[in-house]
Amino acid sequence: MARFTDDELMRKVQEGFIVESEADMTESYKKALITQLTVQGDTELMSAPAYFMAAKDAPSTNTMVSATAIIQDEMGHANIAYRLLEDLGVSRDELLYERPPEKFKNPYGFDQPLENWAELVTANGLYDRAGITLLGDVHRHTSYGPLKRGLVKVGMEENFHLRHGEVWMRRLCEASGEAREMVQKAVDWMFPMGVEWFGMPDEKKHHNAQLDFRLKGMTNDQLRQTWLKAVVPLCDELGIDVPAHVNPDTEEVELEFEFPVQYDPEAKRWLLDEPITWDQVWERWRNRGPMNEQFVDWMRTSRQAVQGVLEA
Amino acid sequence: MSDSDRLWEVFARRKRADAFEHIGCVEAPNSDLGRVYAWQTYDEAKWFEMIIAPREAFHCVNRAEQPFTLHPSAEALS
Repeated sequence: MARFTDDELMRKVQEGFIVESEADMTESYKKALITQLTVQGDTELMSAPAYFMAAKDAPSTNTMVSATAIIQDEMGHANIAYRLLEDLGVSRDELLYERPPEKFKNPYGFDQPLENWAELVTANGLYDRAGITLLGDVHRHTSYGPLKRGLVKVGMEENFHLRHGEVWMRRLCEASGEAREMVQKAVDWMFPMGVEWFGMPDEKKHHNAQLDFRLKGMTNDQLRQTWLKAVVPLCDELGIDVPAHVNPDTEEVELEFEFPVQYDPEAKRWLLDEPITWDQVWERWRNRGPMNEQFVDWMRTSRQAVQGVLEA
Repeated sequence: MSDSDRLWEVFARRKRADAFEHIGCVEAPNSDLGRVYAWQTYDEAKWFEMIIAPREAFHCVNRAEQPFTLHPSAEALS
């Protein structure tokens, strides 16, 4: 390593230089890339047990097939991120099978139980939209060549998940009555979760190695706004209430609550009139959501079982 | 990856006349499982043709660095 200094590499990648191997990296670049890929892999992987939990509620054979196809895609996307990590000297076995569950870097939203079909399709509509927003930006801007190429498949498939989510949200809303109520309930807890997904606001985050090294192109607030501009008009069109609106003068989406706010994980309920600090959000994230351990455990049990048979 | 696994680079083309594109890689203990994993993992398109080759089979012609990072187990094999 150390072909370049950090400053040289930052300048080069801002001018369009593409990093292809460790020989092109600095230690700080590699560290920022490893963090980014770990978040990416863990998020894709932990979406699988969350989606699996709700897929059992699929209303027909065909919908079960689509839901499990989405789960398979997500595992494939996780595989891409973890493979890239292995090429950087990180052990996938250690990451997947030896890390304590609380060390997984998936967002808080995938530490939560998805309990019915409406929650699954709303997760496709809102969380997969968050995934596309984040990874689409990485795909367009990343200075790391192997990741840029790996994300071609991911982008194509995430768009299918999103379409699945939006088409089904619309279908349930048009059915009215109880189906519509289930979507509203799902959006009530997933919308603020999605707002939080993009992390600390820019004003609180002064230094960002991922932006400096061009591992992504947009700031947290820009990404959050991109997501809001897709999700809020969708909900408006479906007649689903969200605590946000488009400001007609600026065309920006404005939240109707003081973000961030208190969350009650047991009741799956946001207390929109109880603002908290970002330190409190971090504490909630560190304490993990209710399904964290179980989801990691589901991912591990099958390997233990098969290995037991192979070694017997 | 486990000790018995090797890395297989995956190449595919969508239709006749297309050039092969490097689309990713999989880990498998042998080429039969490698073919299954590649076909299942990279199912984003209806490929006309997909091929795999072990990572250690690739040798750079014009640069000092290898095109794919060589895993320690692959280095031991070559």
